Amino acid sequence: MTAALIALLLPLFTALCLLLLRSRSGVLVIVTSLLTLLAAAWSLYDVTVNGPQWLELGDWPPPLAIRFQLQPITALLLVFSAMIHLLVAVYAAGSQHSKTRYTDFWPLSCLLQGSLNALWLSGDLFNWYVTLELLGLAAVALVALSGRKAYGPALNYLLLSLGASLVYLLGVALAYGRYGVLDISLLGAMTEADTTTRIAWWLMTLGLMLKAALWPFHLWLPRAHASAPTAVSALLSALVVKGPLFILWRLWSEGAPTELAVEAGPVLAVAGIAALILGGWSALRTPWLKSLVAYSTVAQLGYALMALGLLMYWQLPALDAALWLFVLAHGLAKASMFLAAGELQASLGSKRVSALRGTTETMPVAMFAFAVAGGSLIGLPPSGGFLAKWLLLEPMFETVNHWPWVVGILLGTLISAGYVFRVVALAFDRADPVPPDFSPDRFAHWLALLPALVVWGLALISEPLIHWLTGVPL
Amino acid sequence: MIETATTWTNWVPLAIVLSSLLPGLFIFTLREDQVALRTTLNLIGAVLKLVLVGVMLWGVARGMEFRFALPFLPNGLLILKGDALSLQFVTLSAVLWLTTTLYAIGYLEGAPLRSRFFGYFSLCVSATAGLALAGNLVTFVLFYELLTLATFPLVVHRGTVEALRAGRIYLAYTLGGGTLALLGAVLLHTQGGSPAFVPGGYLPAAGEDSQLILTLAFGLLIAGFGVKAALFPLHGWLPTAMVAPAPVSALLHAVAVVKAGAFGIVRVVYDVYGVELMTAMDLAQPLLWLACFTILYGSVRALFQTDLKKRLAFSTVSQVSYVTLGVALLGPIGAVGGLVHLVHQGLMKVTLFYCAGNFAETLHIHKIREMDGVGKRMPLTMAAFTVGALGMIGVPPVAGFISKWYLGLGALEVGADWVLLVLVGSGLLNALYFLPILYRGWFAPPPARWAHDEKLGTGQPGLGETHWMLLWPALITASLALLVGILAGTDLSPLNWAQLTVNLEFDL
Repeated sequence: MTAALIALLLPLFTALCLLLLRSRSGVLVIVTSLLTLLAAAWSLYDVTVNGPQWLELGDWPPPLAIRFQLQPITALLLVFSAMIHLLVAVYAAGSQHSKTRYTDFWPLSCLLQGSLNALWLSGDLFNWYVTLELLGLAAVALVALSGRKAYGPALNYLLLSLGASLVYLLGVALAYGRYGVLDISLLGAMTEADTTTRIAWWLMTLGLMLKAALWPFHLWLPRAHASAPTAVSALLSALVVKGPLFILWRLWSEGAPTELAVEAGPVLAVAGIAALILGGWSALRTPWLKSLVAYSTVAQLGYALMALGLLMYWQLPALDAALWLFVLAHGLAKASMFLAAGELQASLGSKRVSALRGTTETMPVAMFAFAVAGGSLIGLPPSGGFLAKWLLLEPMFETVNHWPWVVGILLGTLISAGYVFRVVALAFDRADPVPPDFSPDRFAHWLALLPALVVWGLALISEPLIHWLTGVPL
Repeated sequence: MIETATTWTNWVPLAIVLSSLLPGLFIFTLREDQVALRTTLNLIGAVLKLVLVGVMLWGVARGMEFRFALPFLPNGLLILKGDALSLQFVTLSAVLWLTTTLYAIGYLEGAPLRSRFFGYFSLCVSATAGLALAGNLVTFVLFYELLTLATFPLVVHRGTVEALRAGRIYLAYTLGGGTLALLGAVLLHTQGGSPAFVPGGYLPAAGEDSQLILTLAFGLLIAGFGVKAALFPLHGWLPTAMVAPAPVSALLHAVAVVKAGAFGIVRVVYDVYGVELMTAMDLAQPLLWLACFTILYGSVRALFQTDLKKRLAFSTVSQVSYVTLGVALLGPIGAVGGLVHLVHQGLMKVTLFYCAGNFAETLHIHKIREMDGVGKRMPLTMAAFTVGALGMIGVPPVAGFISKWYLGLGALEVGADWVLLVLVGSGLLNALYFLPILYRGWFAPPPARWAHDEKLGTGQPGLGETHWMLLWPALITASLALLVGILAGTDLSPLNWAQLTVNLEFDL
């Protein structure tokens, strides 16, 4: 637990230091990220060996106390967010095209990481509200770093985020009024499937879906993610939207009465399929490269939402593994894709997809990173995306009644293949290649390739990973 | 499933895959002008693979086990294994990879982006080797998808508008097929995991409730593999993919892609379902009709093509379905015919594509009507072409005759006499579209002057009629196609291997 606490406090402390010292030192943030990663890894080891742990703040007993909770999945998410953050920090400090080098990016991204870590570790409804607000504000400020043209999307994001928080808070208030506790595991033992609970849970779900840009509340995401600086886009897509998703998961799988969860499951799963198809369709149509990547986030979140919905509907804890593998695989692949896309468009001097003609020759590594990451998004074996898809498919095939859901996965796969190869095929066009306006930065290209290779490398540890996620002792 | 003892034999299958993968990855990093290093790497990889396959052939014939396994999914190991069936395919791909590498080096001399080309070329062969050695369905599907990814850059290599169009069509078909095959594999996986392929099939006899599941999974798998095997109506990508460079076409048609599909069908029928279950569930009948229809359809379409490579492409659509036909007959003799055709068609078709490439590179001949008298200018290439074409028609003693003979006997054996009509009809159609080419090449008067003579080699008829690296691969594979036909009765022939495999599958 100590290690997890360090992983939580270190980024917050660094953010404070940077602000107080008026320093914008990238090196300091990289060092902090590295230490955070080590602490997170230690907590992962700790929780694997010693089991789940709790920390009661101020030593109050549970109904009163705010408590932090370290579960295996929390520790994994700590490691995951530290990894992505470290990667993005190195990119932001190292790339020639990074526009965030001497800006407020550094304290803000540390704040972002700190609040996200607090979110993973929290276990009660109000704490989550606080962390969500922090996360949202940091994210909005980061989007606005792009300058004047990003103010519109950032403002949009801010208003929506605040509105969503209010809706969520309303749900929390209802739940508190009804049961008098906020701790999710205590709630889980008490909740009944009455109207108040139903309304409370749906309000919270609505707020969280808005924040996580889950279909049909996704409209703010493509503009915000596409207009943000590259490093920020990567952080937002890979990490930030996963926060509300985590709360949603715990809300329904731990806190809600079974009856309600079974009732709500199909709704969420259908929304997931719609996200896959419609988000994918928009990604197929958009003329802008970063919009394409952002719409792909909307689509890919559909897989996670589908896994969540089905795990509620069928009451199958085994689908947890599918859900979190989707989150990990998507986070890694999307970080890679945004960095590659950002580098490509910065070197080419154009934000259009059509400007990518011939990039396999001019910037092979960046394009390769994009393609490899795309392969995982499609779910090609043996990438991480494939493993997640496999885990999601298995229970669908087990019972004949579940078969229709397979169509959703089939369509999702085909449409992701469509938008990924839309870009990749263009990159092979040698008839009329677009010469880069600015010199490509090879270091940044290799950096973009790294997480994509990691997500394919998951194949090497796939079996222990799946066993670990499904809770089978090693 | 823990290995009792790790011996060197466990590593041979992995080494076969790596023997092309590692050189391939290294080639990506080379500069364009490092020709010598690149060529050396290519050839070392190709020769090493051939040696390793030779070792495995030697070992399997002595009853040694070559099995490499890694944990991958719950109940689904990643298995690479050399058995009789996989050896047939892996030997074919190893031999043809060597000749095709040689051919590609000559073909692309001076062309841009060769490091990229040979890099993907090696990846493609690695995926094919993995596919051939795949020991269970999960592993097979994995390499099936990787093959798609590795071949796409080769199809679009030229980077022209047509190449990109062909590439997109190719992807649409193969990724769609791959997804279907994956769904089929997951569906079967839920019925007790993905154990290793077993001669005679590993699935238990179908009960009332599993009937539907097994039928659906069969449909999904056959549809998935049928895309690459170019079964009607899933064959559309193959003729469009003709815009790729000739070595790639050779690879797609003879060595890797269509063979991967056909091999997948063979695996599913024999080693997943098994002949007994197939017969009990009556699954093979639709497959048989589809194969027969594709055979005739491909031949008829080939008849109307005026472009040489297009005609060859439709001929492939037709010829690959012979493999499916032999498998779908579900009798031991037909099975021998189908399995041996996997090798025979590879040898003959690769020869034809080398020759078509030679005509195009040396004299810019693309259309069939431009072939008048080409035999006088390029007699050796034309001779190799003739061997391939006659083999396709089924003229003894070329390899194709052996396949057709066994397929015919096999059809009679299981009482499907009407299949003979299909074979005869297809033979006639083959003759109708190949003989005019041979006639033009040998007997029509050549033009007074070849308009676009590249003067590769010495420019004179004979061994210098084109670049030696283009000529020799064609001569070698043509001789092989002849030899495996003439020596079909000996122990070393593909026919004998096919017989051996079939004895295992049918428990004879």
